[in-house]
Amino acid sequence: MHALWPRPSGLCFRGDKGSHVIPSLSSPAGQWLVGAKMASAAAATAAAAAVAASIRERQTVALKRMLNFNVPHIKNSTGEPVWKVLIYDRFGQDIISPLLSVKELRDMGITLHLLLHSDRDPIPDVPAVYFVMPTEENIDRMCQDLRNQLYESYYLNFISAISRSKLEDIANAALAASAVTQVAKVFDQYLNFITLEDDMFVLCNQNKELVSYRAINRPDITDTEMETVMDTIVDSLFCFFVTLGAVPIIRCSRGTAAEMVAVKLDKKLRENLRDARNSLFTGDTLGAGQFSFQRPLLVLVDRNIDLATPLHHTWTYQALVHDVLDFHLNRVNLEESSGVENSPAGARPKRKNKKSYDLTPVDKFWQKHKGSPFPEVAESVQQELESYRAQEDEVKRLKSIMGLEGEDEGAISMLSDNTAKLTSAVSSLPELLEKKRLIDLHTNVATAVLEHIKARKLDVYFEYEEKIMSKTTLDKSLLDIISDPDAGTPEDKMRLFLIYYISTQQAPSEADLEQYKKALTDAGCNLNPLQYIKQWKAFTKMASAPASYGSTTTKPMGLLSRVMNTGSQFVMEGVKNLVLKQQNLPVTRILDNLMEMKSNPETDDYRYFDPKMLRGNDSSVPRNKNPFQEAIVFVVGGGNYIEYQNLVDYIKGKQGKHILYGCSELFNATQFIKQLSQLGQK
Amino acid sequence: MAVDITLLFRASVKTVKTRNKALGVAVGGGVDGSRDELFRRSPRPKGDFSSRAREVISHIGKLRDFLLEHRKDYINAYSHTMSEYGRMTDTERDQIDQDAQIFMRTCSEAIQQLRAEAHKEIHSQQVKEHRTAVLDFIEDYLKRVCKLYSEQRAIRVKRVVDKKRLSKLEPEPNTKTRESTSSEKVSQSPSKDSEENPATEEHPEKILAETQPELGTWGDGKGEDELSPEEIQMFEQENQRLIGEMNSLFDEVRQIEGRVVEISRLQEIFTEKVLQQEAEIDSIHQLVVGATENIKEGNEDIREVPHL
Repeated sequence: MHALWPRPSGLCFRGDKGSHVIPSLSSPAGQWLVGAKMASAAAATAAAAAVAASIRERQTVALKRMLNFNVPHIKNSTGEPVWKVLIYDRFGQDIISPLLSVKELRDMGITLHLLLHSDRDPIPDVPAVYFVMPTEENIDRMCQDLRNQLYESYYLNFISAISRSKLEDIANAALAASAVTQVAKVFDQYLNFITLEDDMFVLCNQNKELVSYRAINRPDITDTEMETVMDTIVDSLFCFFVTLGAVPIIRCSRGTAAEMVAVKLDKKLRENLRDARNSLFTGDTLGAGQFSFQRPLLVLVDRNIDLATPLHHTWTYQALVHDVLDFHLNRVNLEESSGVENSPAGARPKRKNKKSYDLTPVDKFWQKHKGSPFPEVAESVQQELESYRAQEDEVKRLKSIMGLEGEDEGAISMLSDNTAKLTSAVSSLPELLEKKRLIDLHTNVATAVLEHIKARKLDVYFEYEEKIMSKTTLDKSLLDIISDPDAGTPEDKMRLFLIYYISTQQAPSEADLEQYKKALTDAGCNLNPLQYIKQWKAFTKMASAPASYGSTTTKPMGLLSRVMNTGSQFVMEGVKNLVLKQQNLPVTRILDNLMEMKSNPETDDYRYFDPKMLRGNDSSVPRNKNPFQEAIVFVVGGGNYIEYQNLVDYIKGKQGKHILYGCSELFNATQFIKQLSQLGQK
Repeated sequence: MAVDITLLFRASVKTVKTRNKALGVAVGGGVDGSRDELFRRSPRPKGDFSSRAREVISHIGKLRDFLLEHRKDYINAYSHTMSEYGRMTDTERDQIDQDAQIFMRTCSEAIQQLRAEAHKEIHSQQVKEHRTAVLDFIEDYLKRVCKLYSEQRAIRVKRVVDKKRLSKLEPEPNTKTRESTSSEKVSQSPSKDSEENPATEEHPEKILAETQPELGTWGDGKGEDELSPEEIQMFEQENQRLIGEMNSLFDEVRQIEGRVVEISRLQEIFTEKVLQQEAEIDSIHQLVVGATENIKEGNEDIREVPHL
């Protein structure tokens, strides 16, 4: 897997006039980490129709350009350093943090990065780049900065478009402070969304209360409030498409919040396209988008078509981390207890270590395994650890060989290759260290997840729920599991029951229901979510038949696995080695129908919007008969990693097609249950 | 894509100005305002620090330009067939090396000075952080430019080492060069026949066989006119053998070159790491010293306890 020899180009140091190779420490020997970058770069450039190839790249490029004083960024190894200060608000922070690390910010010349609403001291003679939302408070604070003359020059970048009146407020403050010439540039960045993965985005993090499932679905919402929520969502989606550089064809179901979003979005896009002077979708803004001959498909779905998936227990790595640990904007926070030791009486109580890790695109292990079933992940960590140890031994062995140097002539011939070996070993040291760090990281994370799995018997839940959702016969009665004191927290039981309730064709009889309720209350559950689900079920029954979840099953494999045999850290005894079978969740099915232009009663009466068409009426008959190459699925009301993973798996089988997944907020089951229970309380 | 609304902003400024004038509101802009602006500008801390930082950067920039300008000539080796125009003498190269080194030293001293002064008189944490980061950037810039210098110097040193090795290896190469010049002379005179060639080829063999003074051999070679066919064949075989040996020597030399380059690179890496560790070891030393003192004091305190 690894090659320790440097490429011959490292030796063409001499002779070539003018062309000299600077041997770099990051060894060119196609290693692990370098391979990831190359692979992703290759993937991005490979597909010609890759408009939707990587929203992350696009956003990162846009950010870097903004940080470079709004001029495209070119790397120059002997360029003069230029320094600047970055000021952001919490929105800006959430957008930047998954994309650029502090080191990358430093590389762009940023000496300080500060929150807008913090105490900031005047720093003379330095340009400041602002990246904020155009809200009242932010504008006020910016005007204050101008009055206090904090910095030398100001580059103002607004995350979404600023209104004319607010712009005049700033102009006013600038005039009053005689700072008009200091305001060097003002830009609307249209970056009001957070990209978490190459193909996944979320609308916002800071004010997700505003656009949460609960906010959209509560019964006491007023029209104006709904309008505000919809406007927020549409604004972000608009920014998304501006950054993507494409105008989509929109399809949505009728009678849902998704429809409202679709109507508004269509209107906004249409207005922008008509306005020939200021249109954001013409000319050079399209960029790479011009290479695709087809426009992407935007499928707007409402959370209400599938409430079981957010409650589902899961078995893939990323989804598990999100479900079980504190995982937020690609950062996971772990609490580690510092081991069992005898502490002498009177000593200070041991503090729990808090550790947080960033799971980034550079982390090749994460990229490879975030969608894998958990046992596979455990095995892979073992494998990585073993290969790392082998490499470490190799390096250590060289130390003993080096001891021979200078002893006798015979040894010198043995050394002939060793200089090269030594060079490559030394140059591969940074990579080895990085590898070690990642292995440690994943060992910790996976161990934490495993502890939860074992404590709550999550594998049992997962298997059971899969069976319920695919309508196969159940070997254990639901009541048994709920009453079982060992298996899972009250929340797990609630989730299980809700899934059952959602998925059954006929509601359980009153007597049964009472039994279940009693069992649940005994186990310590709060029954409010059930209230809400009852209402929801009644409502959806009226609207349409409930969606089915597909008809495949999971096959539990035996308890024996290689992991156990090698006596590894990940002792998975008692944990079933379940294998996921591909089944399409409702959202994936809808996407499949729409993308492949299949006829299906579920999706046939979806509305159709095309902002580019001159006549602004929608028809249910799509103009375009060809299957789409790119699609964007957006769930209004919230989404999660299970759906994302399902879509990724679905599209893996199809060559040349790309999917992006987005949602108005990202919640795990705990957060969703909380929202349901709030809704059920009313 | 981002939209530049700077012009829109300027337009807003104008709008606000006219509106304020119409409303009769006193505004910072206007005739008084411009004077105001100038007045306000001058007492602003002109940033002694940043102007000096910029000076250092422009110095480093000059160094970089200087190096890049002469780089081609510097590296362009030692080829005697090059025209006079592009060539650089060794003394010139030495001069460049020296100048560059002095320059780099002054720059890094300037940076150190700035670092020491940066934290005086400043109470704000943010400004301190900012200045440290700025100085880091400047140092990084200097390092990158120094890399240019060290690369071309490494090439040059390598060439010198090569030359020395070649000249030290064995006497043949010397005579070989002399032979080649002599064979040039020989071939120049058209009256010589092919028998002379075996004569010149004979030389290396004779030198191998007996370590005779070159001139003597040379004189001998010139004198001989005829050789018997067996001798010719023998000489030819010797010839082949010698060629084979030369080639293998040549390969070995190449290998050694490669190794030397790698070793020098490794040494660079090691020195860098050692220097890094020096700072850390210093701090560890401090900590240990502090810890020992703490423990001593602790022990004393404990000893005092029974006295109470």
